Amino acid sequence: MMDTEKEDFKSRLAPDVTPNRQLPWLTGIELLSDTNQNKHFLPTGLEGIDALLGGGLRQGQVTEIVGPSSSGKTQVCLSSATHVVDRNFGMVLYLDTSNSFSPFRISCFVNQLHPSLPKELKETSLQTIMSNIYCQSVFDIFALLDLLHHVETTLKHTVKLGGSKLCLLIVDSVSSVIAPVIGGKNSQGWCMMASVGVLLKRIAYEHNIAVLVTNHMVGGENGTLKPALGESWKGIPHIRLLLSHGTGNNRGTTTVLKHTLMASGRTANFVIGN
Amino acid sequence: MEISNLPISPSIRSKLLSKGYTSLSSLSSISPSFLAQELSVKLEEAVEVLRAVSDTTTSKSAHIPYGIIPGAVTAWDMLSEEQMQRHISTGCEDLDAILGGGIHCKEVTEVGGVPGIGKTQLGIQLAVNVQIPVEYGGLGGKAVYIDTEGSFMAERAYQIAEGCIYDILDKFPSNSREFLSCKERLQVNNFLAGIFYFRICSYTEQIAVINYLENFLTEHGDVKLVIIDSVTFHFRQDFDDLAQRTRVLGGLSLRLMKLSKMFNLAVVLLNQVTTKFTDGSFQLTLALGDSWSHSCTNRIILHWNGNERCAYIEKSPSVPSASAPYLVTGKGIRGINSNFKRARIM
Repeated sequence: MMDTEKEDFKSRLAPDVTPNRQLPWLTGIELLSDTNQNKHFLPTGLEGIDALLGGGLRQGQVTEIVGPSSSGKTQVCLSSATHVVDRNFGMVLYLDTSNSFSPFRISCFVNQLHPSLPKELKETSLQTIMSNIYCQSVFDIFALLDLLHHVETTLKHTVKLGGSKLCLLIVDSVSSVIAPVIGGKNSQGWCMMASVGVLLKRIAYEHNIAVLVTNHMVGGENGTLKPALGESWKGIPHIRLLLSHGTGNNRGTTTVLKHTLMASGRTANFVIGN
Repeated sequence: MEISNLPISPSIRSKLLSKGYTSLSSLSSISPSFLAQELSVKLEEAVEVLRAVSDTTTSKSAHIPYGIIPGAVTAWDMLSEEQMQRHISTGCEDLDAILGGGIHCKEVTEVGGVPGIGKTQLGIQLAVNVQIPVEYGGLGGKAVYIDTEGSFMAERAYQIAEGCIYDILDKFPSNSREFLSCKERLQVNNFLAGIFYFRICSYTEQIAVINYLENFLTEHGDVKLVIIDSVTFHFRQDFDDLAQRTRVLGGLSLRLMKLSKMFNLAVVLLNQVTTKFTDGSFQLTLALGDSWSHSCTNRIILHWNGNERCAYIEKSPSVPSASAPYLVTGKGIRGINSNFKRARIM
């Protein structure tokens, strides 16, 4: 579109389009420059996973971690929360459905971050980091939808006051609130699952936030395990990673199940520190 | 939020959508009688719908809160709270050590094992240990014991309570002034009176009692432990539709999580084992399927290690996986070392 036509169109749309909201379409060049400047990679703190993801969790995208029980999903979430706040990307909101958010474990991760700091600086850094991680418990899907709507409203109305802005939203685990309502004769559950998915993607895209969700596994054919929530959920996360147990304690393997930029099937090993 | 996300019954929702009410704003200025006439439902149902609508709109348009969402707590505040939290001792010091002090409150712990390994013994021991007064290092709370199999024996609970009191008086000097006042509380009858016992005989009763627990716990605020022994029993035999079983169990576990967080208590679920065909061989795993294995915060597996009973922490967000041996003695669950100590004195 020519520049004059564009300006004319913009002025005609102006009453309907608020200043903060982006115009519904952008050229490819604008998109690319926006991606390069604004869409950062948020570190998970685990080298193998960060390398596999090309830097970390992408802002504006929904990343899902799937794995059997006790494969390290919650540990990856806790580690990401710590590292993201440490590098001053912003605030983290942790929505917890199984009371697994452990402040003690976060403090262990913080202590591993800068082992060479003197004691007083470590204390203040611990307090600063942990004051920027917010945790809220969610126990059913209606509460989750309510919370997500609330987050969206707050983000729309908050002007950057120099304080931290939300940059990472973790839902651990989204499958435990969705699984009890899907299946059965009523299709209402699938509709609510789709609402959750769309809401997460919208929050991620419009406010430039990285969203990290965890999912569990259920039995498939021939005794193999497959991710829960079925085929309809597969299209919702942009990136899906599969975690599996490793040989020793705290070791694991990640496999890429789905990625928007690179081929799937690549694996990497990771180690969760003590 | 659209109509499709409101917590109302599906028939009313489909009536609303077919009449053209698709967004909340379309219902904002309608009177209940008009709505009842439009949808051909009773007046009370129309009132309920409008109440659900107003609940969601008020929570949304409330003044923008200070934090990102109301009710969110920072990790720093949770850390100081957590450090002051007391844990429920299991009776075995090694097991307490690998658990990080004992069974945590505000968490759901699942304990599974083969028959005869000591699950019910551990359950009764925890129900007694949670009542140890605060002055002696315990929580001073009461216990709710939900028995589905009928394996709770009051005589055994009496024995375990006696053993526990004996060990406390042994450990703490009995002539200290501050302990004299709570010594009266250290009676076996008081310990037995502090266990609320529910006997349930079908899965419907199990679901009902968990739904009822919220009212019960509001009345009895000093309950610090809920034990379900065992959570599997009725779900293994009476359920035909496995998919529905998974959904019901998922809902149950979320409710228990909510109770443990709201009332600051520990929930312990005892589970049975089953065999599973994985990687070409039959292995023992906990019953109720893969989805259930994600519904607890911590999981402990009790197993035989040669001739010894061993407890292995399989899943925990805050402590690493570790193993500890324990004994089932006449006085209850004890560690290996405490026996040796007695042998040396003798």
